[in-house]
Amino acid sequence: MPSTAAGTKPTLLWVAALLLWAALPFVATRHMVDLLVFAGLYSIAGLGVAFLLGQCGIVNLAQSVFYGIGAYSVAWFCARKGLPVPVGIASGIVLSVAMAAVVGWPILRLSGYFLALATLALGIIAQVLFLEWDWITGGTLGIGGIPFIEILGFTFDTPARFYFLVWPVALLLLVLHHNLLHSRAGLALRAMRDEPDAAAVLGIDIHKLKVQMFMLSAMLGSLAGSLFAHYVTFVSVDSFAIDRAISFLLLAVLGGVYTVWGPVLGALFITILPQWLSRLGDIHAFVFAAALIAAVILLPEGFGGAVTNWWQRRRTRRA
Amino acid sequence: MSPDLLFQSVLTGLTNGFVYGLIGLGIASIFRGTRIINAMQGDFALIGGITAVLLLERQGWPMLPAFVAAVLIGGAAGWLLEVLLVRPLRRRGGTEDSYLLLTLGCAFAVSALVLYFVGRDSHALPGIGGEGIVVIADAAMRIHALWLIAISLAVMLTLRLFYSRTSLGLSMMAAALDPQGALTTGINVPLMRTLTFALGGLVGGLAGILVGPLITVYFDMGLLLTLKGFAAAILGGLANPMGAIVGGVTLGLLESIAIVTISSGYKDVIAMVILIIIMIVMPNGLLGRRTRKGG
Repeated sequence: MPSTAAGTKPTLLWVAALLLWAALPFVATRHMVDLLVFAGLYSIAGLGVAFLLGQCGIVNLAQSVFYGIGAYSVAWFCARKGLPVPVGIASGIVLSVAMAAVVGWPILRLSGYFLALATLALGIIAQVLFLEWDWITGGTLGIGGIPFIEILGFTFDTPARFYFLVWPVALLLLVLHHNLLHSRAGLALRAMRDEPDAAAVLGIDIHKLKVQMFMLSAMLGSLAGSLFAHYVTFVSVDSFAIDRAISFLLLAVLGGVYTVWGPVLGALFITILPQWLSRLGDIHAFVFAAALIAAVILLPEGFGGAVTNWWQRRRTRRA
Repeated sequence: MSPDLLFQSVLTGLTNGFVYGLIGLGIASIFRGTRIINAMQGDFALIGGITAVLLLERQGWPMLPAFVAAVLIGGAAGWLLEVLLVRPLRRRGGTEDSYLLLTLGCAFAVSALVLYFVGRDSHALPGIGGEGIVVIADAAMRIHALWLIAISLAVMLTLRLFYSRTSLGLSMMAAALDPQGALTTGINVPLMRTLTFALGGLVGGLAGILVGPLITVYFDMGLLLTLKGFAAAILGGLANPMGAIVGGVTLGLLESIAIVTISSGYKDVIAMVILIIIMIVMPNGLLGRRTRKGG
């Protein structure tokens, strides 16, 4: 094959993907676009969970906490207090990052089973507090009347419009994440994951680095939660139960935690699959669980890893 | 608050504590035998509980055979878990994280299957001794709760004797502590691991039929039971066979004190906060001796 063709082909592929992405909201049903918006939101929150697992070996079952803080901050500051949108999103991020630092500092001394179950316990605690502290969260009744996001007079008030907000944000975060992994901090992370003792000798403060990554992950969770609140304009405890944290972890493991775009695949899978299986009732919960089991045993690098491996094999075969 | 109320809540806490202890006993047994924390221990209880419910309600079985079958099904679930899933993962090089994700996945699968085939409803199991109660110093306690405590203690003692006196129990310990050494003395190490899980399943199934009359059996009961059982197990020290029951009772009593002094809504919060603090501050538990990995 001529070398020029090999060079243009991936570019063409990217252009085709971009066109497909831009055209989707105009051809897909409103319901499908709605699901794609959720896939975008879940990609953002799931990205946080995925890189914690992939880069730091931290099983995070507490992402629902930060997703909830992000959403309730928006509900509290924008709907109750009438403050502008950036205040809500920013305060959610500040609160989440502060919370992640305070809670993460002691908890991230744990590892393995103990750390994972500690984060699960955090998720349960938050689930109860979101319900009990109804003077902040509105409890089961929730808080409504959250304004839509408006930029330069353009209101993101339909699924199709929000689609063009959430996906660019998600893609930007993926690019930033990619850059982080290839920076000095990324190298330190990889050193910490693969050779913790050597990394410590080289002067990398492993515990501090883990806490920082946990804070970063919380930030992503909070941002996703804030966007979620602005999209649905109503929040209640049901959205921030432990199931949500489980689905974030599920999409990370399924999508693959070693590729940057794995969480996107995972998020698409968990949002769209229930739709395909909806005629069979609640069976999707079992399919998710079975997929998790299968991924852990057969596909430890997730869909992302499988696709990358396939692509590389294909390329080497041609070369 | 009146002393009667306090005493009543202590009795309730004691009963709950033995439930957590029984789940914790299963978690600790499996951990001792395989170094794996089984995140579906609470779902073994769901399997046992729902089996008993279906046999009693839909098949019209008498109580005793239904309960025995439920415990055995729990054991079979443990057996299958090890043979079908844990063993292949071990062969592919399982890490703590992957075992945890695997058993969590199994917990979700069991919960989802119960939801799909049985539905959302809670099912009350009949208690041993029916609805009868005994009155102790103006506080009421169900006869079933007394049975639960007696059976939990019996299970604990049986397990202790099993691991220290029988050759099978000693082989299982040897296989866990020194797999290579155990192999050279002719112990079938893979079989011992399978039996460990089967034993955990039996204890879990038993917990299910004992807890069913108290909190009812429903599809979502497993995860919180697992977490509280885990809290009980590490509170008592994972390495100590008696620990889980002591830890469970401690947890149950702390919970009940929190309910009467703070609010019943915060019961699970208290338990989870205790779990986190214990892991950080007392990694070897109340009765712990050996240091453990992971803290």
